Amino acid sequence: MTIDDRNPQNESMQSENILIRVKDLEKRFGDLTALSEVNIDIHRGEVVVIIGPSGSGKSTFLRALNMLEDPTAGAVYFNGVNLADLSVNINIHRQKMGMVFQHFNLFPHMTILKNMTAAPIALLKKSRAEAEADAMRLLTRVGLAEKAHEYPAMLSGGQKQRVAIVRALAMNPDVMLFDEPTSALDPEMVGEVLEVMRDLAREGMTMVIVTHEMGFAREVGSRIVFMDEGRIVEEAAPEVFFTTPRRERIAQFLRKIL
Amino acid sequence: MEAFWGTLQNSFERVFIVDDRWTLLARGLGLTLLITLLAALLGLVLGFLIAIVRSTHDKMTGLKPVPRAVLNLFNGIAKLYLTVIRGTPVVVQLMIIYFVVFGAVNISKVLVAVIAFGINSGAYVAEIVRSGIMSIERGQMEAGRSLGFSYAQTMVRVILPQAFKNVLPSLGNEIIVLLKETSVSGYIALEDLAKGGDIIRSVTYMAFMPLIVVALVYLTVVIFLSHLVTRLERRLRASDH
Repeated sequence: MTIDDRNPQNESMQSENILIRVKDLEKRFGDLTALSEVNIDIHRGEVVVIIGPSGSGKSTFLRALNMLEDPTAGAVYFNGVNLADLSVNINIHRQKMGMVFQHFNLFPHMTILKNMTAAPIALLKKSRAEAEADAMRLLTRVGLAEKAHEYPAMLSGGQKQRVAIVRALAMNPDVMLFDEPTSALDPEMVGEVLEVMRDLAREGMTMVIVTHEMGFAREVGSRIVFMDEGRIVEEAAPEVFFTTPRRERIAQFLRKIL
Repeated sequence: MEAFWGTLQNSFERVFIVDDRWTLLARGLGLTLLITLLAALLGLVLGFLIAIVRSTHDKMTGLKPVPRAVLNLFNGIAKLYLTVIRGTPVVVQLMIIYFVVFGAVNISKVLVAVIAFGINSGAYVAEIVRSGIMSIERGQMEAGRSLGFSYAQTMVRVILPQAFKNVLPSLGNEIIVLLKETSVSGYIALEDLAKGGDIIRSVTYMAFMPLIVVALVYLTVVIFLSHLVTRLERRLRASDH
């Protein structure tokens, strides 16, 4: 990272309360361009919902925010630090970016409580007692306190995803990234997961959500981002986006999905 | 019938009792177990290290040039090791290490055997563990990393415990194979279990009884080991229910 591409970012971000600034992000897999010229600012407290057809790059974009996909060009500034810079210790910054996956990715060899306390104990240097108390508080909040000593295999999909959400929350993150959190769930379990996310949004958590749940996007999102062919095609407030789509491509997508 | 039992008793005495020949087998078994145990430990350590180098090389992205070059070098060494060790017979490796590598040095033959069998076993353990690491869903590494764990921390806390559980039957099998392979220790004049039986055969001119008994002792140890592995597997399966 050179000095002249860091300092201006720092200043402007502090003044505008921007948590994440994505600049000219590009990701190629060989010949395939998954992301190109992606630019977006995400403010604290915002709920940004990313939608778009499959293969549009929305998951790749989300995963590039915490460098699970390392971009081939461009920058992702998080709290003013460019995470795409290889000399940055990404592990420190990831502690502040919770992530929830489509397939939950709970650790199957650990109990629910262990899943939730491993990182806070090892990385935040919390005492075991403190970490467990925090975990129990979070579990109680999502109605799963009685599952604390079970293994993930004993839980339903919806329960697993709620645990995955509070596991990320246990690190006390600045932002939560959701990668199609309800796509792998049976329909009757979608509601319980969305409910937890709705609560989080209400509390003011900054969230970036990739989802196909249009009703939820419209209700909870503060901004809808529409991606197509690796680019951000449209950004709009939900009421504008869904009622008066400005582009035929979006109207077409909405007709298909709604 | 009487005559048969008489002969059997007679040969039993000649094979085991006279000159306390049974001690050859007892001491031989002790040596076989000692070599197997130490070689298995060495093999596990080597195998895990190699497996981690190999799978890290294949899966790790976003590395700066220098660490990447170091990793490439280690991966190259690991591949060479796997090719050579798996491509040549263990008895030849044993003799090379004893007569060539340590040919000019006065070194314990037991130590040589432990090194030779350990290095050999390490190659097989490496491929077993690597397949175990590769079998863990990518999401597990991603979940660990997204919480802020480093690659190494995620490996130790998340990937390896699951991989180990998955490959435990194969690892158990590898130790059983190793136990049986140590029976070529006689090539460097170690008196292990197989050699003990062979010595008895050569001094008594009786082949049947000493060799069958040796086979039965190996079989008993193998059955015992398999039983241990099964029990350990069952304990580790606690999280599957």
